[in-house]
Amino acid sequence: MTDAITVNGAKTGGAEISLANILWGTPVRAKLFAGLMILAVWQVGVALFAANFVAKPLNIIQVFPKVLADPAFQDAAISTLTAVFQGLAIALVAGTIVGVAMGRLKVFDRALNFYVNGFYTLPMIALLPLITIWFGYGADARLATIIFAGFFSIVINARDGARSVPPEYLEVCKAYRAPARYVWFDITVFSSLPYLIAGIRLAAGRALVGAVIAEFFVSLEGVGMYVLAHARSFKHNEAVVGVLALVAFGLLFELTINWVMRRYFPWYRREGRGE
Amino acid sequence: MNDISEQLPDQDAEAAAEPGQARIEITGLGKSYGSLQVFKDINLNFGEREIVTIVGPSGCGKTTLLRCIDGLLPVNEGAVQIDGDEIAQPREGVAMVFQHFGLFPWKTVEQNVAYGLKLAGVSKSEIQKKVPEYITLVGLGGFETSYPYELSGGMQQRCGLARALATEPHVLLMDEPFAAVDAQTREILQFELLRIWALRPMTMVFVTHSIEEAVLMGDRVVVLKGRPSSVFEIIEVNLPGPRDRSTLGHPRFAEIREHVWSTLMDEARAAEFEVN
Repeated sequence: MTDAITVNGAKTGGAEISLANILWGTPVRAKLFAGLMILAVWQVGVALFAANFVAKPLNIIQVFPKVLADPAFQDAAISTLTAVFQGLAIALVAGTIVGVAMGRLKVFDRALNFYVNGFYTLPMIALLPLITIWFGYGADARLATIIFAGFFSIVINARDGARSVPPEYLEVCKAYRAPARYVWFDITVFSSLPYLIAGIRLAAGRALVGAVIAEFFVSLEGVGMYVLAHARSFKHNEAVVGVLALVAFGLLFELTINWVMRRYFPWYRREGRGE
Repeated sequence: MNDISEQLPDQDAEAAAEPGQARIEITGLGKSYGSLQVFKDINLNFGEREIVTIVGPSGCGKTTLLRCIDGLLPVNEGAVQIDGDEIAQPREGVAMVFQHFGLFPWKTVEQNVAYGLKLAGVSKSEIQKKVPEYITLVGLGGFETSYPYELSGGMQQRCGLARALATEPHVLLMDEPFAAVDAQTREILQFELLRIWALRPMTMVFVTHSIEEAVLMGDRVVVLKGRPSSVFEIIEVNLPGPRDRSTLGHPRFAEIREHVWSTLMDEARAAEFEVN
C-alpha cells in the first residue's frame, strides 16, 4: 500500500473519497453532473420566476414520447432531413468539381476565388426574400437555400485540398503519364479527402441552419416549422423537442461521417503516420 | 587520374558487362534553376542490361539528373536519348522508383501495383494476371489487399518496385530507392533487387549517396563532383558476379570504395566549411 494517502487523518487506500472526487472523478461523471445541474436550475428557475407556458425539463420529458409518436412530427423530421441530405449531396458534387477546378487550374482560381469567398461570407438569410421569389414559396426554395448554404464551404475546402496535393503524388502521375482526368478525379479528390470532410462538416451545419430559416420564412412543413408553430401556440415543451431533434440531426450526421470513413476509407486516419 | 584502371588491377576483364548498343545516350547535358547551375556538360552512355550507379555528394544534382533522364524535368542544354528518341517527357518502357515511394495511401498494394498498367491501357484480364506475378516477385505475397500504412518502409518500397516492374520497362531508374529505409532493410533490399534484376535484366540507372551501395550494385560507378557538378570519373567495377554478401568482403570492393570515398571526401570537407 505504498500509494495510500492520509486525508484528514483517515487512511483511504489510494483514491480519495470525497464529494469532489465522486462528482468530478471521471469526465463522464463531471459531464453528467453539470447537465443535471443545468436542468435543475432551469426547472426550479422557470417554476419560480417564469410564466406557466415556458418549457420546463420535466414537462419536456413528459411530452417527448408523444411528440416522437406524432405523425405530424415524423413527417416534419423526414421532410427536413431529406431536403438537407439532397441539398448537401448536390452541394458536395458541384462544390467538389468547382473547388478541384480552382485548385488545379490557375485560370479558374483567379477568376472565381474572389466571388466564392464573397458568397461564403454573405449571410444567406439576406438572400431568402429573393430566393423565395425566384424558386416559389415551396420546397424548392428550401432546397436552394440548403445548396447555397453548403456549396461555398465545400468549394473553399476542395480548392485548398486540390492545391495541397503532395508534389510526390503528382510526380508519380507524371512519371506514369497519367492523363489529366486521373490526376483530377483519382489523385486530387482522394488526397484532398481530409479537406473535403472538413468542408462537408461545415456545410452540414450551415445547411441545417438554412433549412430551418427557409421553413420559417416559407411556412414549409419541417422541423423548423414545427418549432415555430408550437412556439406560437404556446406549446413550448413540444417546440423544445423539435429543437432537440435538430441537435440530434447534427449528431447523426457526425456519426454517419465517422462510420462511412471507418468503413470505406480505413486508410484515412492512419495516413499521417507514414514517411 | 580520371581513370581508375591505372591504379587498380584490372581483374576479370572478361566478366565486365558487355553493354552492347547504348540504350541511353546523354550528350552535353546541363541543367540550371535560374542562375544556379546544377550540372553541366554531362556525357554518358548506358548500355543494354547494364547497371550504372551514380554517386556524388548531397546537392550535386544526381537526383535532378535522373529526373532529366526520365523526362520529369526539362533540360537547359544538351539532350537525353533513349533508344534513339530524344526525351522531353516520360515515355513508355522507362520506369522510375522513388525515394519517397510515391504510393497512394488510398490504394491497396494490388491497386498501387496495377496503377502503371492501368494508365498504360493494359486490359483488365492482363492486369489480373500480371499484378499477382509481380507482387510475388518482390516478396509481397499475402499483402495484396493491405494499405501502405499497414506496411513497413521496406515493404512499401517493394510495392513501389513492383509497380515499376509491372510495366515491364527496359530502363529502370532508381532514385535513392533505399535511402528512406533502415540499414538492415536496406541491405536486404539491395540483394533482393540484384536477384530480381538477374531474373529480368534491364538497363538500370541507380542514384545513391551511399558509396558502398554504388559499388555493390553497379557494373560502372559514375562519380559526380564539382559545383556545378560534372562527371568526375567513371569506374569499371569488374567485381565477379553474382554479387552477394561475399562481394562486400572482396578486396576489389574495398579498393574501389576507398577510392571513391577519398574522391568525395575532399569535396565534402570543402563543402562543409564553405557553408560558413
